[in-house]
Amino acid sequence: MSEIIRVIGSTEEISALATELRETASETEITTSAILDGFEAWAAALGERETADIPGVQFLRMWLRRGTLEPIIARELGLNELCGGWMADGHARLKAYPLGIVGHWPAGNIEIQPALSMTCALLGGNASLVRVPSGLDELTRLIMEKLEQSDRAGVLTGRIRMLVFDHTRKDLQEAMARSVDGAMIWGGEEAVLSVRGLPFPHWARLAIFGPRISVTAMDADSWSNSEGQESWCRRIARDVWQFDQQACSSPQVLFLEKKPGHSSQEFVQALKKAFESENQLHPRQTIHAALTTVICQARASWLLDNGANRAIFTQGPDWTILLGSGSEIPKPTQGKTLSVLEVDDLLDPIGKLDGNVQTLGLAMADTSRETKLASLAARRGVDRIVKLGRMHVFAPPWDGVDLIRPMVRMVRHVPSID
Amino acid sequence: MNEIGQRVDQLLAIPPYSLPSEERQTALLALLKDELEYACSRSPVYRNYIEHWPIDMRSARTISDLPYLPIGLLKAQRPFSLVEQQEIKRILTSSSTTGQMPSRIALDSPTARRMTKGVVVIAQDYIGSSRRPYLVVDVPASTRGGPELGARGAAIQGLQPFASEATYCLELDRDGDLTLDRDKLLQFVESRGSSPVLVYGFTYILWKYLIKPLFAENISLGMPDVHILHSGGWKLLQEEAVDKRSFNDGVARVFGCSADRVIDFYGMVENVGVIYPDCSEGNKHVPAFADVLVRNPLTLEQVSEGEQGIVQVSSVLPTSFPGNLLLTEDIAQIVSYDGCRCGRRGTCFRFVGRVAKSELRGCGNIERTRQQAA
Repeated sequence: MSEIIRVIGSTEEISALATELRETASETEITTSAILDGFEAWAAALGERETADIPGVQFLRMWLRRGTLEPIIARELGLNELCGGWMADGHARLKAYPLGIVGHWPAGNIEIQPALSMTCALLGGNASLVRVPSGLDELTRLIMEKLEQSDRAGVLTGRIRMLVFDHTRKDLQEAMARSVDGAMIWGGEEAVLSVRGLPFPHWARLAIFGPRISVTAMDADSWSNSEGQESWCRRIARDVWQFDQQACSSPQVLFLEKKPGHSSQEFVQALKKAFESENQLHPRQTIHAALTTVICQARASWLLDNGANRAIFTQGPDWTILLGSGSEIPKPTQGKTLSVLEVDDLLDPIGKLDGNVQTLGLAMADTSRETKLASLAARRGVDRIVKLGRMHVFAPPWDGVDLIRPMVRMVRHVPSID
Repeated sequence: MNEIGQRVDQLLAIPPYSLPSEERQTALLALLKDELEYACSRSPVYRNYIEHWPIDMRSARTISDLPYLPIGLLKAQRPFSLVEQQEIKRILTSSSTTGQMPSRIALDSPTARRMTKGVVVIAQDYIGSSRRPYLVVDVPASTRGGPELGARGAAIQGLQPFASEATYCLELDRDGDLTLDRDKLLQFVESRGSSPVLVYGFTYILWKYLIKPLFAENISLGMPDVHILHSGGWKLLQEEAVDKRSFNDGVARVFGCSADRVIDFYGMVENVGVIYPDCSEGNKHVPAFADVLVRNPLTLEQVSEGEQGIVQVSSVLPTSFPGNLLLTEDIAQIVSYDGCRCGRRGTCFRFVGRVAKSELRGCGNIERTRQQAA
């Protein structure tokens, strides 16, 4: 077992680990530059055979690069943070300091999330206690072993402890909550509500990333253009495949704006080909039997509900395209089941979105219409509007919230002498 | 349609576990294709579903290639019927957990007749064909209830052809809860206990209201020539930590018979006319007019012997609703595709449990809208 990941059986073990983390953090201040150096080395190690194929690891490697993180740090904490200095703010100056220990409760459906969430807190100089969801302990161990391998001096690993325990152990959940100064909570409604109700200290800051879904839309000139079709379809397939379509940023429906005199049939065939290719490249390795039955039911239900509905699917539960029309978002099935709905005007479905929708993926040939749709979506509660193919690119703000800043204290120093 | 009915009757007339697998598959495949075609002619939306299946049904070479319907599609306020309203003689309803919609199965006369015949053909292979006194561990109201009949009632009625007379030994107390009518039970035991007797009860009801209290009082009814059939699942008993062995031992002790007289059968109202009793080896068998496939959840292909997967039931009996090929929400293990030591031919399997409730609780799972939440 990795030094970082511990199987926990008692509340005392959690308290002891928290004390150890606090001592490490108070003994040495860690610079942003040291963190970024550590991340670069970790990214390189993650490219090795044992971890390269873990879903999301290639994205994690990209995230850990200095080139990705420096602009994020500069935007959230100020340019001077990168060189360890204070930032001028009128007569005063500002600098980010860590909260202390940040607790992480990642969602169980994203393999890299325990590591990803932890990196956000670490960038703010915090130590981290991470509860690893059941089922992710083995993959997380592989990911964290690469950090141990690349950070022999323990600059980063000394500030991280990942805890494995059953989610029903309320005593351990409570002990973890009592030990932290901030928390990043990810997942479905039930998980989020139960973690939010834990006895955190009154000063603890909570950043909550609850359940959302995502949708996509294409204007007529985008999908009807034969030249661009293949590329767009590849992008859609990529967005659908990642995280088995179970992430909040996974598209569940694609709205196609109708074009008089044009049939979407050619586009749908291109989409089918893209799904077939993506499935060959990234076939599913395991599935929960319940998801299989849900997928089968969604296919049958769609075709039985309306004789005009169409569908394309494989013999297995690999992927499904449900075709029809309408501006309402169908109940998400997940498991690579994409509803493709034709609409007269994209303003209809986008005008009906609400805060349940996190990301709107767009393919728009008309840039002025895109601006209009983006504004409408934002007013309706959507937090991210991105190009198709970039739905999962993890960049703050996420869910409308910064990723590093919520877990730091911005200290203001007003000099005593003018 | 008459022609289909005749072919179904021919399969019902064959000893249910005698056909070699290939012969059975050939007969079933042809008949199931015709039944699917018939169902398509009766329902345009069903045709829409069948026509979208990745394999053209007419060119299917095995039953596993044919389009199946997820059983959840039968859970609806209105039954998914292939016959006119006036032809529906009865609606069977499945047991369902609180808040869930039960399945509703429309039966016309031909399907109802085949249902009865199917159960008889199967059950007599296990308990013989003679009529005998029938002790029902339930209340009479279970088989009443107007045009709709629940799973308990359907199971009780399914065994009625083996009854020379029926006695119900439970009653409702003042609070409307089930309770054992001891006088009635003892009267039945005194007058008929020494002769061959058939007993049926839902597994949990049989245990809770008859076996458990009599077992606690160390009572034996002294009925060595009894057959006790039960069905309905083990979930509630598992919560009480009662496993199959201790259940069988307890039932045998209370009735004063050997444990091999206790027969658990698996069945569901949607799979009308087909029950799967345990054989002496503890396996479940598939009769000539039906089939069971176990599908790998990852590929939906059939599993190999010894492997587990999602159960698909197939039956040629129903023509009043599209229940010929149903993907259930149960998990089973294929023991072997032929050669059970009990002598019955064809596939034998063991029920493992229900498909565990979906764990799709990640950050992309919306269970209610923000308006509802507010």
